[in-house]
Amino acid sequence: MGGTDAKDILHGLPKTPSLSLNQEKKSRPHKESHRKPDGISREVYALTGGVAPLMPSIDVNHLKRRPPPDEKVAWQWLPVKSSARKDDLQLYHWVRVVNDVPPTGDYSFAKYNKSVDVLKYTDDEYENHLTDPVWTKEETDQLFELCERFDLRFTVIADRFPLSRTIEELKDRYYSVTRALLRARAQSPAELANHPLIKEPYDMSRDRERKRALSMVLSQSRHQEKKDAEILAEAKRITEMRLAARRAAEPDVPANENIGSVSPSSNSQLPATAVAPSTLTMADYASTLASLRMLHVYLRTYGLEQMVQAASSAVGLRTIKRVEQTLQDLGVNLKPKVPTKTVCDEHLELRKEILTLLNLQKQLQYKESEGSSHREGTYAAMPDTPKDRVFASEPFSFGAERPIKKEQKRKGPGRQADTPSPAHKRPRKMKASDL
Amino acid sequence: MTSSSSSKKQAQDPPETSEPTLKSLKTKMTKSDEKKKLKDIEISVPLVYGNIAFWLGKKASEYQSHKWSVYVRGATNEDISVVVKKVVFQLHSSFNNPTRVIEEPPFEVSESGWGEFEIAITLHFHSDVCDKPLSLYHHLKLYPEDESGPLTMKKPVVVEHYDEIVFPDPSESFLARVQNHPALTFPRLPSGYSLPAPMQVDDNGKKKRGDTKDHSLGQWFTSFSEADELLQLAAARQQVQAHIAKLRRQISLLEGQNQTIKTGSDP
Repeated sequence: MGGTDAKDILHGLPKTPSLSLNQEKKSRPHKESHRKPDGISREVYALTGGVAPLMPSIDVNHLKRRPPPDEKVAWQWLPVKSSARKDDLQLYHWVRVVNDVPPTGDYSFAKYNKSVDVLKYTDDEYENHLTDPVWTKEETDQLFELCERFDLRFTVIADRFPLSRTIEELKDRYYSVTRALLRARAQSPAELANHPLIKEPYDMSRDRERKRALSMVLSQSRHQEKKDAEILAEAKRITEMRLAARRAAEPDVPANENIGSVSPSSNSQLPATAVAPSTLTMADYASTLASLRMLHVYLRTYGLEQMVQAASSAVGLRTIKRVEQTLQDLGVNLKPKVPTKTVCDEHLELRKEILTLLNLQKQLQYKESEGSSHREGTYAAMPDTPKDRVFASEPFSFGAERPIKKEQKRKGPGRQADTPSPAHKRPRKMKASDL
Repeated sequence: MTSSSSSKKQAQDPPETSEPTLKSLKTKMTKSDEKKKLKDIEISVPLVYGNIAFWLGKKASEYQSHKWSVYVRGATNEDISVVVKKVVFQLHSSFNNPTRVIEEPPFEVSESGWGEFEIAITLHFHSDVCDKPLSLYHHLKLYPEDESGPLTMKKPVVVEHYDEIVFPDPSESFLARVQNHPALTFPRLPSGYSLPAPMQVDDNGKKKRGDTKDHSLGQWFTSFSEADELLQLAAARQQVQAHIAKLRRQISLLEGQNQTIKTGSDP
């Protein structure tokens, strides 16, 4: 995603329609900029991802051209005069001299000395159109002075500006003042319709959002980028799978609904199992089953993998890891060694129950923190905080009791066992080791 | 609606019941019911695939240190050729004729060599079972996991995997043909549904036995126990459920407490 997102942000084009409401998109001659320039190999150009190059590129043929044979080229250290400088500073430069004739005219780089016409306002105009509750006239004067001096280089302006204002605030003030001035001075609104500052007004919040998004994408590590790509690919796979499943399931919907409830027996055992994920996974299960059936033949282990994935599609990577950790703590094979139908069904049920368990744990932690915020430290009879690791690492120890005992011991002799320290009450932060 | 006699359409209609003799039923089956699918029924074939490798000891040379066999067998050593038509073992390209096609049970390849590599095992099925082949992958293992131990000739290295081939929505003719065959597991048929009388299966005695029950390497075969696995899972589920119940109690307790505190602290 990195490349295209960065491109979108750099271009500043809105991605969501809501952002572009007040802005008519100009139909820019996009295609031209995307065409591969001559002289760059396709592979190299592909690396830029279609983003305009930061460095100006020189036409290769220009470099390959040989000078005409009758031309004598020499480089000389000569004084230069630039129209960009108002003082009489004498500077020197290496200059290409052809046939002993030094080049005449202005200094070749003087053309880059562009300046902006910053509008000036009178005191009357300020009083009538430009007052602002946040900005005083002195501050605005100062801003315009700096804008003139630094040619709207807002990074520099923000640096020199005596008050602490963000770049976006400075820009916003400058452009809104300029817009107001233009409107006040124009004879008719039609005159201004095509003025760039009126047509595409500066939007402070969007600029902030753009910068935030850009820095986020640009500061992404390669690892994150890879993960994003993987997630997107996975999401695509799931969508395709569901689409295929839906197509397959359409003619006989009722049959699928039967399959959806994988094992009614266990559901009746735990009537309240329906914490958030289970409804989601039901749909996933059904579609996975349908797409498995499309295969006409498959391996049981493959089917199980698909079902496990379907069950995990609604939860995060962290939770998936915790489920697997719990399975290990329970002494259960992550992949059954004898994957018969019954074993696979039981395995899936177990995973579902573990998800429910983890959910309940989260709920409990939430409730506890809610409770402790009500009673500021005078608290005594809170049930034991659950550990993130539910079961002791040795299998088949009826683990629910065990870790809690350990925790109580840890409190040491200095405290009474039934008044836990305030720190103990807070929901434990998850640690890396708990994953 | 004149003659839309697609196989599916016919399959939905009950077979014309003017002459319900076995003969007519049989001819029907070969024609249209070939495609007839049974919904919500799956047939599965439990099987085991893997390899056994013997170290050659003193006779071992640089390139021939082990004798090994790679195979696919029924999990309970039943004859799987009732479903499997042929098995293709794709060996490492350094072997002569690396693609070995085995058309008769037992489906196995024996070779000698020195190196471990991945073997692709492709199962092809009889035409009434499934048109698509199914691939398994097995990493040939010659050397024991515990590398420090000395090589021994007495005990071979055995690596086997249990898996099941699943045929969702099998055709009726397939189901009828293989009904009650010991190599397969069947679902319970939906109530009210009855299969046509099993066609006279001709393998009871006439056909040679293709099972691997008295296989020469049979003593080394792993027996896979579903019961152990189920026991493990049941114990785990019990633990988890107990914990869930406990958490639920704690949560409801807390909810009660929060409630009283909220109402109590309100002025």
